[in-house]
Amino acid sequence: MTIDWSWIGDHTDDLTSLTLSHLQAAMTAVFLGVLISLPLAVVAHRIRPLRGFLLGVSNVLFTIPSIAIFVLLLPVSGLTRTTTVIGLTVYTLVVLLRNTVEGLDSVPAKTKEAAKAMGTRPLRTLLTVEFPLALPVIMAGVRIATVMSISLVSVATYIGDGGLGQLFTDGFQRNFPTPVIAGVVLTILLAVVADALLVAVQYVLTPWRRRRA
Amino acid sequence: MNRRTLLGGLFAAASVPALSACASGITSLDSQGSSSGGGGSSKGGVTIGTANFTENQVLGYLYAAVLRKAGVKVKVRPNLGTREIVIPALKAGDIDLLPEYQGALLNYLAPKDDSAEPGTMQNALTLAMPSGLQVLPYGQAADSDCFVVTRETARKYGLTTLADLAKQNGKLVIGAAPEVKKRRVGAIGLKEVYGVEFKEFKSLDSDGPLVKGALKKGDVDVANLFTTDTDIAADDWVVLTDPKNLIPSQHIVPLIADRVADDTVRKALARIGNVLTTAQLTELNRLVDKDKKDPEDVANDYARQHGLA
Amino acid sequence: MYELFKNLGTWLTSGANWSGSDGIAHRLAEHLQYSLLATLIAAAIGLPLGLLIGHTGKGAFVAINLASFGRALPTVGLVVLVFLAGGLSMLPVYVALVALAVPAIVTNTYAGMTAVDPEVRDAARGQGMRGHQVLFQVELPLALPLIMTGLRLALIQVVATATIAAYVSFGGLGRYVFDGLAQRDLVQVLGGAVLVAVVAVALDLLLSGLQRFLFRHRTA
Repeated sequence: MTIDWSWIGDHTDDLTSLTLSHLQAAMTAVFLGVLISLPLAVVAHRIRPLRGFLLGVSNVLFTIPSIAIFVLLLPVSGLTRTTTVIGLTVYTLVVLLRNTVEGLDSVPAKTKEAAKAMGTRPLRTLLTVEFPLALPVIMAGVRIATVMSISLVSVATYIGDGGLGQLFTDGFQRNFPTPVIAGVVLTILLAVVADALLVAVQYVLTPWRRRRA
Repeated sequence: MNRRTLLGGLFAAASVPALSACASGITSLDSQGSSSGGGGSSKGGVTIGTANFTENQVLGYLYAAVLRKAGVKVKVRPNLGTREIVIPALKAGDIDLLPEYQGALLNYLAPKDDSAEPGTMQNALTLAMPSGLQVLPYGQAADSDCFVVTRETARKYGLTTLADLAKQNGKLVIGAAPEVKKRRVGAIGLKEVYGVEFKEFKSLDSDGPLVKGALKKGDVDVANLFTTDTDIAADDWVVLTDPKNLIPSQHIVPLIADRVADDTVRKALARIGNVLTTAQLTELNRLVDKDKKDPEDVANDYARQHGLA
Repeated sequence: MYELFKNLGTWLTSGANWSGSDGIAHRLAEHLQYSLLATLIAAAIGLPLGLLIGHTGKGAFVAINLASFGRALPTVGLVVLVFLAGGLSMLPVYVALVALAVPAIVTNTYAGMTAVDPEVRDAARGQGMRGHQVLFQVELPLALPLIMTGLRLALIQVVATATIAAYVSFGGLGRYVFDGLAQRDLVQVLGGAVLVAVVAVALDLLLSGLQRFLFRHRTA
């Protein structure tokens, strides 16, 4: 199995646009996942009976093959980017919800009581005390969800999307390893870079943890 | 966004004066095709979808080349899936135009219709068309489904026609794309028309590495391929003949949504239909599959050489 | 939607769909075979690796990063790559499934080992236990809950992903998903998906039951 370097040279534009399209799908999904999981996590954290239900549902969703989710969305959103993004978002929810609930759980009760004693309103406590303290655990979830989404985008190639995943079906149909190798390498690079960026973001967002380290 | 659109822009700029349109005379705008659905416009651009095999992508990019030449903004979405997937997407508006095949399309839309001759099929297609869609005049190039066996298998079981398969009922394994199990030009028609019953149906791919690999390895005895595949001759495979005309005429025909079907689009697509021959299409497929050229480059080169772009 | 689920009921309960070489029973057995074998191979690679790193404390950085690197591997790409390199066999599927499962097993095994109280470890050494005795009699039992979590996580992912076998012509429950996609038969796709989810949940419950049974004498 040899790499046809001239193919790579001739296709840098294509590879770039596929990489960007891949990244866009994954990032949109993670962004939506965070947006949905934060309020759900608060609900799961505050209302005990709902906690098991929400976590249970998200766990079951995780066991459904991603390709099946994409196909089952076809009657709803067709062969579009929307289908890809919805499918990926469903997967990010599992990780994000669990980590955000755990993060909120990890906030010491005394800290919350102190905030209450100072007359801080519940919503304000949530935003200025609980979320910041839960941030490390939440960010760990965001990192896993990001890497997972980047790896999963390519499955959407079966419904005509999939960013770099298109290189896999193309190489497969034509018995041509070069695009496949390029796709695998770029996917991993994308994941590694995105993960490093998130670590940097976390470093900036949690200055109080730096002093300790 | 798709990866070919970026490259596409570069090629659109290169245009050569038209040389000889309407060479074959099989199609003419006045005599065939549907007149339904006036009032479409391609001003907002046309999105071309293609199914999941090489040739359909080549055709999609050929359509794109001639449409660009006609000043239409086009976008190609390659490799979307099977007919069962792309036609609903066409209806839903995710795509506007598809390269199709007369017989297969008619089987999909009107499974009971047994038209076989290109002209009557075109009429049948027009009648069977769901609202919002239409077929444009068919081109001279054709690509049929076919059922092939290895030379060795043909000799061993004395197979030359599809009817011969029935003598080996329950013994042979057929390999084809999953959708062929439920199609008339497939397991269903072979049983109805020729009384053929296979030992097993193996779900593989559309004239791709799986089905050809399985035929070579002997994992399947009969394989469903396309007549424009150069591997059939290269590997000395035997195409089983079809005395009862199960497999209909398969001229290439543009399936288009009314909303974008204006005269500019009709004329441009009629030109490619008139020029492209089956032999040329076969060669274009080979360039993509064997020489690993991009379907888009192959299509653009062809269009330029034939004065279509 | 209602129609889809009604048809799903018919699909799942029709006897004809369960029998034969492409029947549900056979596809279920294939799916279990692929998933269990892949997870076993992954455990054979990941467990010793995680234990070794946790016990010696060496190579943790490399291993953890390799594991997250492995998590980024696109399964479809890996399957196609191994297929192009070695031809049509189950090898591409197993390589991809094992690559998917190893990271979860290694990271959780390692995490379980690092969670062992250093004082307990020192106490064991102080009593004259040798390295392997400390590992197998002290560290491993204490790390077992997290190790089991890793195995369960790996198994769930493998069961969901084993559908990919159908992409390269093999069986398993993925057959219904890929065939259903090609035929746009959503009932078949949903049926396949539901069966995969049921298998994953059932195996997970089985493993968590086993875990509870193993630790029944332990007071938390």
